[in-house]
Amino acid sequence: MAVKTDEKKETKGTSIQKVDFKSGNEMAAIAASQVNYHIMGYYPITPSTEIAEYLDEMAANGKHNIVLVPADGEHGAAGICYGATTAGGRVFNATSANGLLYAIEQLPVQSGTRFPMVFNLVCRSVSGPLDIRGDHSDLMTTLNLGWIILLAKDPQEVYDINILAVKIGELDDVRLPVIVAFDGFFTSHQKRRVNFFESSETVQKFIGKNNPPYTSVDVENPVTIGPYMNDPDQINNKKQLSMAMEAAYDKIQNVFDEYKKISGRSYKFLQTYKTEDADVVLFIINSAADTAMEVVDKLRKKGDKVGLAYPNVIRPFPVNEIREAFKNTKAILVADRADSYGGWGGNMTIEVKAALKGDLDNKTIVFSRIYGLGGKEFFPEDAEEMFQLAFEAAKKGSVNVPYDYIGVEPGNPSYVPKKGKDPISLKESSPGVIKVIKDEKTGNLVVKGVKQRELTAMPQRIAPGHGACPGCGIFPSIGTFLKGVEGFVVMLWHTGCGMVVTTGYPNTSFNVTYIHNLFQNGAATLSGVVEMYHERQRRGEIAKDQDITFIMVTGDGGLDIGLGPALGTAFRNHNMIILEYDNEGYMNTGNQLSFTTPLGHTTSTSNIGSVGKGKKFHHKDSAQLFASCHIPYVFTAVETQYKDLIKKAAKAAWYAKHEGLVFGKILSDCPLNWKHPDHTGQAVVQAAVDCNFFPLYEVERGITTLTYDPEAKGKKVPTEDWLTLMGKTKHLLKPKFASVLKEFEIEVERRWKRIKAMSEHPNL
Amino acid sequence: MEKMKTEVEVVKLPITNELGFYEIRMESIGGFGANLAGKVLGEAGILLMGYNGSNFSSYGSEKKGSPVRSFVRFCEPDVQVRSNSPVTEPHMLVIFHEGMVGINPVTQGVSPQSIVVIATSKSPAEARDYLKLQGGTIHCVDGIKIAVEEKTRVNTALLGAMCKASGFINPDAIKETISLNLGKKYAFLIDANLKTFDRGYAEGVSEHFEDDGKYPFVPFKRKGQNLGYLNQTIGGALTTPANTIHKDLSASRMGWIPVLNLSKCTSCGECDITCPDYCFVWDNGVDKKGKEVRVLRSIHYKHCKGCLKCVEICKFDALESRKEYEVDPKILEDGFSE
Repeated sequence: MAVKTDEKKETKGTSIQKVDFKSGNEMAAIAASQVNYHIMGYYPITPSTEIAEYLDEMAANGKHNIVLVPADGEHGAAGICYGATTAGGRVFNATSANGLLYAIEQLPVQSGTRFPMVFNLVCRSVSGPLDIRGDHSDLMTTLNLGWIILLAKDPQEVYDINILAVKIGELDDVRLPVIVAFDGFFTSHQKRRVNFFESSETVQKFIGKNNPPYTSVDVENPVTIGPYMNDPDQINNKKQLSMAMEAAYDKIQNVFDEYKKISGRSYKFLQTYKTEDADVVLFIINSAADTAMEVVDKLRKKGDKVGLAYPNVIRPFPVNEIREAFKNTKAILVADRADSYGGWGGNMTIEVKAALKGDLDNKTIVFSRIYGLGGKEFFPEDAEEMFQLAFEAAKKGSVNVPYDYIGVEPGNPSYVPKKGKDPISLKESSPGVIKVIKDEKTGNLVVKGVKQRELTAMPQRIAPGHGACPGCGIFPSIGTFLKGVEGFVVMLWHTGCGMVVTTGYPNTSFNVTYIHNLFQNGAATLSGVVEMYHERQRRGEIAKDQDITFIMVTGDGGLDIGLGPALGTAFRNHNMIILEYDNEGYMNTGNQLSFTTPLGHTTSTSNIGSVGKGKKFHHKDSAQLFASCHIPYVFTAVETQYKDLIKKAAKAAWYAKHEGLVFGKILSDCPLNWKHPDHTGQAVVQAAVDCNFFPLYEVERGITTLTYDPEAKGKKVPTEDWLTLMGKTKHLLKPKFASVLKEFEIEVERRWKRIKAMSEHPNL
Repeated sequence: MEKMKTEVEVVKLPITNELGFYEIRMESIGGFGANLAGKVLGEAGILLMGYNGSNFSSYGSEKKGSPVRSFVRFCEPDVQVRSNSPVTEPHMLVIFHEGMVGINPVTQGVSPQSIVVIATSKSPAEARDYLKLQGGTIHCVDGIKIAVEEKTRVNTALLGAMCKASGFINPDAIKETISLNLGKKYAFLIDANLKTFDRGYAEGVSEHFEDDGKYPFVPFKRKGQNLGYLNQTIGGALTTPANTIHKDLSASRMGWIPVLNLSKCTSCGECDITCPDYCFVWDNGVDKKGKEVRVLRSIHYKHCKGCLKCVEICKFDALESRKEYEVDPKILEDGFSE
């Protein structure tokens, strides 16, 4: 066996390049680290999240200087990026799907006020219904935002285009932000053999210096950024933006050519493969072009004159290149992985048609097929079918069906979906075990009948068969809460683990009515449901004596991004319950830090390393946030103190019916990402309570009461006793992290004393 | 990645498809480590064994317990990698848990030229019948037992078995890649994993089966959604409440189950509080004094993922954790032991 000890390297272009096996997201992160952006503002969303994770891991080990700022949502992330660009440095962001749509309001601000930055769009299907896989429905919403849009079809291109994007956006008469779009999962999570520059110097030399004409932090030269600009002025600002696109159209190829010299890799506005003599051409963007290329070779071997075209740039759109390339093409099938519903063709079809219309001699037939929506796989057979359709059109000289879907199925008409359970009747859901009695003299609520054995008679509103991880803390938490709520229940769940594992089409674990909305907006959505219900009752459309307990369930992530609408719901005091299962991170997207992640805890975006010390700031206290909204009832609870939890649930249902909004927070363990064995969840959660990290209390009409005092019970343990139980925190017990541990303990103690004082003094 | 030490001579791929690829498909359940196995295999092949190739997985949200497929393609170094679609006719199929068979169509596209590596205690002949394979080389290894004994995961044992069965994947290259992936962060796991790998390599048993007409070829099928654009409820709504109860999640278990001993059970109800999968079956009954009470009858194992939280909470030792492969199958059927 021959053994070589050198790391793999090769010289391409004028540079020494490493050889490695990396995914698209890894290559985006490597490019960003070599560009060494000043700031990345981000918010996690599948499948783009890994980029921030890889960058955080590198940062924890001192591999670059990018400051990674976790935002409160994509809108906030875009705001952080915008502000950062005005302050004169280089800025990076990455998102997907609804993350892009949530940020979208900010994007024309970025381009209209002309601050370059690079935004990686890891393409994913836009909800709803929610779908995490890859299509281009997000990308196609960006066409009118005034951003340059570059496309990368494989991990190598992701790296190269990310470097090119910096230079292109910062060109003197361009100065525009740039989107780098590549396919979620197909490219972002596929590993291929790749090259990247051995030295960041090569990248730095290529991109050169950023020369903003003004910045927001140059105090000697004050500037007003973003004055309000009506007619007759704004149209001229937009003309300038259009001129910048023209300049980009003139100069991008030069930048590509310059890059080829150092890298050996060639990019073009429009990449063509065997189109010169092709009778028919498939126009398709990103990863599917790779698969289609295999099919071109296969059909060429048979003598079929087929070709393929895929652009590296779609803003500015390569109109001249398209006219030139397809002068003699008989038929083009444009395959769109997104529909422009009612436009009779995807956006790429419409634009290719428009481009060719500019050549009055052109007689090419152009038609559209929508494919691969929601991440449906693109197989070579699909490309063959497309070429076949194009041949038919070319032969006939016209096209029968100019717009259609490929890969859809009508379904089996005789199929009858198997029912799960019969709906739960009012009688079944009201076993009468629990009673909430209002003391007429004091007005206080007394809960009786919290007996877990009898409560097994309560029907399961969430059925078994859900796909949560073994040992998941969400289901004991929510399931136990529901044991305390008698009668009809309607639930809304935010996007998150709990939602994803219960409702994968065509299955649902819910045996009561359930709504999902994206986690910016669940509280607002349920308040709409509640108001409609009561208004319809008032109008006599629904029986007046019927009663429903409305419960919104969110993770801690949904209370970061969705905090605004949740607070709005609290200010309006709707008759409903907001229930937060707090597992201290964005577990659904792979364990990124949330605002409730405590100081020093590791997540995939708060790594430890030679310089990294885990999360850099303290945990958010959502119970106190809602208490300060002066709603009727706020509580904290845990599964281990289940009698306390059930009692609070019963009170919550009473308050939601009689007085208004209830907020409850349940600390809920995540064995996978807290890194503890599946069976130890109870011990872990109880230790969090016993070390005073998670005080159990309720705030009832403004009066705070501790419902469990570890000190009084002689159960108090040091925080180390909790932290040692989890892989995510074990490092905090090492001497290297002593100062972080100390700071954490001081904060835990400070917050505990505050709650305790409030419990002792009704005026607090 | 840390610097690699080993680089082995390029061995010609034993068989390739018309595009020049040797294709591997792994059928697994989230948490068993198929994604990582694919990554390790790909890295070893491309960076140490001199092939070109690719690796990707197809999965939904990142949860333990849901189906995962991982794909690896190898080709000679001068062949371009362009194919992005899943492997439909694998040269090697790897099945991480035999409980998946029948739930997912895992054997599609397997022909008598394929190698099938499966984690099972069955013999190759038994496995062939269990999988209803037209033919192929069947390589059985009791990966879950090895993983339970070594306190590792089944993926490493299967990597060992894959090396052995393939005839060309270099075990030293895989072992080095495993060590590098665990790195400094998980250095304490390296020895156990290398031992798991070696056992997976050594303990597998192979047998080849020609197409003897016993079972037909099962082609890769892309179509067949019962609900389509003519009969989905508009807006994607589901009008079949609680239909996840029909799911069988047994394949989520990683070797351990709780066994309920009814003679010790007091029906206190605490297990019902802590079970994330709502597996405990309750009924109305009478206590010793003849009073009507709720009574715990059994565990519904179809939904039990083997987390063992119930064993932890039970104060009466009525719940005990046991190695599933040692438990009398009758207990799994009944849901309790006396």
